[in-house]
Amino acid sequence: MAPKADSQSAGAVAAADASSQFSMDPVFHILKVVPYSFLRPPRLRLKIPSVSLPSAMTVFSLVLLTYFMVVSGFVYDVIVEPPGIGSTQDPATGAVRPVVFLPGRVNGQYIIEGLSSGFMFVLGGIGIVLLDLALDKNRARSVKVSYAIAGISSVVIAYVMTTLFIRIKIPGYLR
Amino acid sequence: MSNSYTSDILKPFKLKTKQQELLIRVLILCLVYILAFITRLFSVLRYESMIHEFDPYFNYRTTLYVTQHGFYDFWNWFDYESWYPLGRIVGGTLYPGLMVTAALIYRLLHFLRFAVHIREVCVLTAPFFASNTTLVAYFFGKEIWDSGAGLVAAILIAVCPGYISRSVAGSYDNEGVAIFALLFTFYLFVKAVNTGSLAWGLASAFGYFYMVSAWGGYVFIINLIPLYVLVLLITGRYSMRLYVAYNCLYILGMLLAMQIRFVGFQHVQSGEHMAAMGVFFLMQVFYFLDWVKHMLSDTNLFQEFLRITVTCAVAVGGIALGVGMASGYISPWTGRFYSLLDPTYAKDHIPIIASVSEHQPTAWSSFMFDFHILLFLFPAGLYFCFKRLSDATIFIVMYGLTSMYFAGVMVRLILVATPAVCLISAIAVSATVKNLTVLLRSKTKVAQIGSTKGTSSAKASSKASLDQSQPFQKNGAMALLFGAFYLLSRYATHCTWVTSEAYSSPSIVLAARGAHGNRVIFDDYREAYFWLRQNTPLDAKVMSWWDYGYQITAMGNRTVIVDNNTWNNTHIATVGRAMSSYEDEAYEIIRSLDVDYVLVVFGGVTGYSSDDINKFLWMVRIGGGVFPVIKEPDYLVNGEYRIDKGAAPKMLNCLMYKLSYYRFGEMMTEYGKPPGYDRARGVEIGNKDIKLEHLEEAFTTSNWIVRIYKVKPPNNRW
Repeated sequence: MAPKADSQSAGAVAAADASSQFSMDPVFHILKVVPYSFLRPPRLRLKIPSVSLPSAMTVFSLVLLTYFMVVSGFVYDVIVEPPGIGSTQDPATGAVRPVVFLPGRVNGQYIIEGLSSGFMFVLGGIGIVLLDLALDKNRARSVKVSYAIAGISSVVIAYVMTTLFIRIKIPGYLR
Repeated sequence: MSNSYTSDILKPFKLKTKQQELLIRVLILCLVYILAFITRLFSVLRYESMIHEFDPYFNYRTTLYVTQHGFYDFWNWFDYESWYPLGRIVGGTLYPGLMVTAALIYRLLHFLRFAVHIREVCVLTAPFFASNTTLVAYFFGKEIWDSGAGLVAAILIAVCPGYISRSVAGSYDNEGVAIFALLFTFYLFVKAVNTGSLAWGLASAFGYFYMVSAWGGYVFIINLIPLYVLVLLITGRYSMRLYVAYNCLYILGMLLAMQIRFVGFQHVQSGEHMAAMGVFFLMQVFYFLDWVKHMLSDTNLFQEFLRITVTCAVAVGGIALGVGMASGYISPWTGRFYSLLDPTYAKDHIPIIASVSEHQPTAWSSFMFDFHILLFLFPAGLYFCFKRLSDATIFIVMYGLTSMYFAGVMVRLILVATPAVCLISAIAVSATVKNLTVLLRSKTKVAQIGSTKGTSSAKASSKASLDQSQPFQKNGAMALLFGAFYLLSRYATHCTWVTSEAYSSPSIVLAARGAHGNRVIFDDYREAYFWLRQNTPLDAKVMSWWDYGYQITAMGNRTVIVDNNTWNNTHIATVGRAMSSYEDEAYEIIRSLDVDYVLVVFGGVTGYSSDDINKFLWMVRIGGGVFPVIKEPDYLVNGEYRIDKGAAPKMLNCLMYKLSYYRFGEMMTEYGKPPGYDRARGVEIGNKDIKLEHLEEAFTTSNWIVRIYKVKPPNNRW
């Protein structure tokens, strides 16, 4: 294999030499003279990796991940550093009970409650996306039906859970 | 027979479908316009037509000055009544857009012989501009997607609590006008990019000028638009339309923005505006390369030329930026905007910025409170935008993502994110509803499918099942439409509840529920300011914490030492030091500042929790930041902030404590509790026997919320 590769690369070098006659690049000409007239460059088979733009849906999934982090209050968690979950002492028995939702303020949270609410929001969004995919004509009917059922149930669950969370968090909600 | 008779009468009124559609659209927009206005009127109906909060009082005072003295006197105004003894150059340190707009509306109404007071115009400016924003949202939605999305966007933004929070009637602040200007500029720019017309580019430059004159948040525009142009260039969407639109906006907008004295030369000197300049030069390089490619026929030659040019351009740009920053000509990012990129910066370095409650990062419940179901519709709308990428949808996606990130960093910026979230959600609603209604209106296509698929028995059975599925699909689509309608109605209910309960409080008038469930109103602030206005000499100087400065100057008409502008940190630290020292040291500082009256806010009798004792630690921190003699641990016990018997001795004897709790030790505040029980902190105070040596009590309001003390002259020598 080695001699054949050698001759191929030699041919490639020869072809490159032929085209480089027309190069306008001054740096290339300087380099041709100064080190590489007496130094012999090694024969490598490296290629510059080609960078291509990612597809729209890849970008969309990254965006969804970022949205989940922002809406869960990630910046709040980093700066204020609340505990993962709160605790309160039961006045009667003295046992320590966990408290999931930070009471008293609208703009305050524990880490876990932020993450679970953020997950519900993203679930609702994905539900609507699934509904749109279900109405796409070019799929098998069973796939469309399962997308539709998944989409509707996601939206319903997300909305119900989110309303429940906000009712727990703000006791006077809608009263 | 009667049918044709009635149809003959109604014939001149029968409209074609296009006209019917236009009529429906106009009706909807009119209703939305009225809705956006009236949903912001809760506090005017409950209390009275007055200005809310703190900052709007300064805006009101300056608007009063404009209407009384004219524009040139206002532009050159030096205010000696605030920041005594430094004064404030008002003309050069504010954004005049809001005041000039209100003054113009006032002049117009007087020209039409409606003799309204300027206060009414100021109170209702924000709802008026909110209604205009809904119209702009409609046109913007039409530009990005279609007119259905535009209508939904108008409806969503009319009631969205994120926007209502800063634009209720009475909230006479820059943001009320600025959000309108922001959306208007963005709409004009996207229109310019879509059409490539110079006229729209010129309009967008003037829209940008209005935004710069209205709010400091214009920095968002001048960074988002270059970022957007960069993204278009990277995704290969460079076009002549983009070139014309961006160049027109940048050059004309920059020149117009320099007319505002507060902005000055920042567009060429400040680090925050350098992105726009960099992208401007990059656009010229792109145009040049495009022209060379057009002239050159040899592609190899062009590739070489391309490589050299891009390398040179990037190198020259980098060197220029480096020289500019090193020589100090280009200033680095200011603390306020730098803390948006690095949120931990303000906490460690700038306590004044960190102390404002609006600058805290956002928790999930604030998002839910301000957006409700828009949080579900936002990712769905992003999906639809990514499905149909165009210049306009790329813009709205970028606006939505950047503004949501900033909204996560600072609660106050949820306001900037609201138009983007409403627009993107409107796209989701419009696209979903369109899909569902297409299903509802589809005629049965069984016959065609049967003929194309062939005539085998399996196909025949599928034909039958398709026949069965059509009404099922129609029912399903109907059910889903009802579900969507239900969700949107829950959104409207939520928004109205939030507006009524949370965002319609004037803050200067406090309300609470009495023992029998009746509403009790505390009007102590205005009581104290009017006492100051009527019972103190005209040149009296009042020292208080900076929160109340604007209100004292506007309503009390007296000179203050520090106010909400917070431009001089050392001056504020001096006041903080005076409040946290013992009475003798504080008296020296008070004499050096020439103060006649000291004003404190105290919530112990009513349970009001935003009083000066709760803000006291910030006074210590800010004072200690400049004068190391004030140390925060001196006021804490084991890291805990207490004011009862176990509190630190320095805390129990500092000026703020004495002024808040003077004569409070004899007061019975709650049934069954000892005298001197502080209802806001929930404890009995530690030091009840307070004697003041250098100050005497001048006035305490009826609910003890505002307390004013007179500074006694120094003792005679003998």
